[in-house]
Amino acid sequence: MSSTVESKPAVAVRPVRTPPRKPKPAPGSRGFSPLRLLGMIFVWLFTAVNVLVLYWLVSASFKTPIEIFSKPFALPLQWFERGDPFRNFAYAWNNAGFGHAFVVTVVLVAVSSVVIVLVSAPAAYALSRLGVRGSNGLTNFVAIGMGIPFQTVVIPLFIGMGKLGLTNNLFGMFLIYVALSIPFTVFLLTGFFKSLPDELEEAAAIDGASPFRTFFAIMLPLTRGGLITALILNAIGLWNETLLAIVFLNENANFTLARALFSFYGAASYQSEYGGLIAGVAIVVLPMLVLYVLLARRIITGLTLGAGK
Amino acid sequence: MATVTFDGTTRYYAGNPVPAVDGLDLEVADGEFLVLVGPSGCGKSTTLRMLAGLEGIDDGAIRIGDRDVTNLPPKDRDIAMVFQNYALYPHMTVADNIGFHLKIAKMPKAERLERVREAAELLDLTPYLDRKPAKLSGGQRQRVAMGRAIVRRPQVFCMDEPLSNLDAKLRVQTRTQIASLQRRLGVTTIYVTHDQVEAMTMGDRVAVLKDGLLQQCDTPIGLFGKPANLFVAGFIGSPAMNLIPATVEGDSARVGGRPVQLTRDQVSALTSPSVVVGVRPEGWRILSPAEGIEATVEVVEELGSDQYLYCSSPVEQIGADANQFTVRAPGMSPWQRGDKLGLAPETGAVHLFDAETGARLPD
Repeated sequence: MSSTVESKPAVAVRPVRTPPRKPKPAPGSRGFSPLRLLGMIFVWLFTAVNVLVLYWLVSASFKTPIEIFSKPFALPLQWFERGDPFRNFAYAWNNAGFGHAFVVTVVLVAVSSVVIVLVSAPAAYALSRLGVRGSNGLTNFVAIGMGIPFQTVVIPLFIGMGKLGLTNNLFGMFLIYVALSIPFTVFLLTGFFKSLPDELEEAAAIDGASPFRTFFAIMLPLTRGGLITALILNAIGLWNETLLAIVFLNENANFTLARALFSFYGAASYQSEYGGLIAGVAIVVLPMLVLYVLLARRIITGLTLGAGK
Repeated sequence: MATVTFDGTTRYYAGNPVPAVDGLDLEVADGEFLVLVGPSGCGKSTTLRMLAGLEGIDDGAIRIGDRDVTNLPPKDRDIAMVFQNYALYPHMTVADNIGFHLKIAKMPKAERLERVREAAELLDLTPYLDRKPAKLSGGQRQRVAMGRAIVRRPQVFCMDEPLSNLDAKLRVQTRTQIASLQRRLGVTTIYVTHDQVEAMTMGDRVAVLKDGLLQQCDTPIGLFGKPANLFVAGFIGSPAMNLIPATVEGDSARVGGRPVQLTRDQVSALTSPSVVVGVRPEGWRILSPAEGIEATVEVVEELGSDQYLYCSSPVEQIGADANQFTVRAPGMSPWQRGDKLGLAPETGAVHLFDAETGARLPD
């Protein structure tokens, strides 16, 4: 067919082109649709409300009670004028016992989260990959644990822990946190282990690795994303956990941040120290918010990675 | 180095009463390159996985050398395997991937690194030893998978379609590399593929499987020149052999009105008067329509060096493309769609099969 092709110079010269500012989207993907508009409105409304609440929380934590009630959405002024902008935070920190509670919470949350993952990862591996008879049923049984609201078991749990002498006890709290978080974590991690190809295990078996070694040297490093996701989600959940802490802890020395905040709420609202109270809330909430913002990408990829493919 | 013996090896899968591999008897010589080939679901991968110890063996035995490995776990069989998707450990560097077995075997570090370096050199992987598999091209990954097998110096290599994830050009190149590497190392190799070109070009011998049953195991030439039955005749060779059913009267069968002579042995070996006459595309002589089986050119496939003519004809064939004759002509021949021609088999190019049993008739 060479005769029909036009003769060209030996070296093709690429003509000068200006690339578009933005590559054109696929046809039909950018058209207007009422559903799309509705979705956009909803998403932006949702975002706006949340940003507003966050703004209100942060700004109010710098305000005097008068400012909070008279100008709820204005920028804080009075404490700045008096040259003591962090007065509310100082008040909350000193009066609520946050210093001690902070240490207790960090240790409790860190130890619990790590132990949860340490227990759940081998369990999830065994359930999803060892092909043990009845492992599907067992996985479902574990998953049912997610469906039981823990509020419904608080009273029997309290009675049981009381008989063991583990109420008002941080070790008891740790046990409860670990036990209640295992179903979700196991379920999350089974998704990860299932997504790994079988051939890796087979290759490891041919290479001579024991099942134990296969798990620790091959499978566990590959689910690192999932493990980190599980760790972060548990840490955030436990950090914010209030109800169980209120039920099980009743001594200042054992208070977690959320529990201390609850006591502080009573005292501060009695003294009309609303600025201090909100600063207390901010102290509890902001560290997790910062953690989440820093790790959001990781968490989201982790969650979807386990689900798809 | 060792022989591999399959002795009535049988494998069932749960929920299926038909075995995936049924009583396989096969002897692989020391240092031989044996290719297992067949359509998908024929049991070739299962056979390899049984040898590797990744599948149980329900009946029969497998021996490597004199050792019965039927019930040994994979790590005690002294084999190495190359997987279709390579199964490289994504979180380890190329060096760690290649050396993982040696590390588990507790080989001293200096010796281990030396062995890894040697293997890497053999496969041109030295510049990539510190990279993770994700940073490698498909061909490089494939070579890492080979390196992981070579470094162990095993008695047997098991290869499960190791080239099917490469693009066509690289596949041809790697095919030659693997074959020459195997000859150089002299390690007994069992190689699974569904690609008959790979099977024919790489193997010392080729075993054709269908529905879990071994159809024929022979050298590529033997397989091509004397297919043992109808299945092998249709499966080996591309384009496939023309298979024409006919009825024997006296000592000849009539194909498109033309007689095909049978020997006395062939006639007496027949279980019924039905016979299948097989002629490969290159086994036809192209004559004028009056002189042979009448055919009309439908499609001309020009490959440059050869030309394949796909012709319609009133004569029935067996297989999916009934009535279609495939004929090879010299490249750049003047044939065009609609041309009429007559076909006659070259002397010696006729394969005869019993239509009832499918078995080849004696030559």
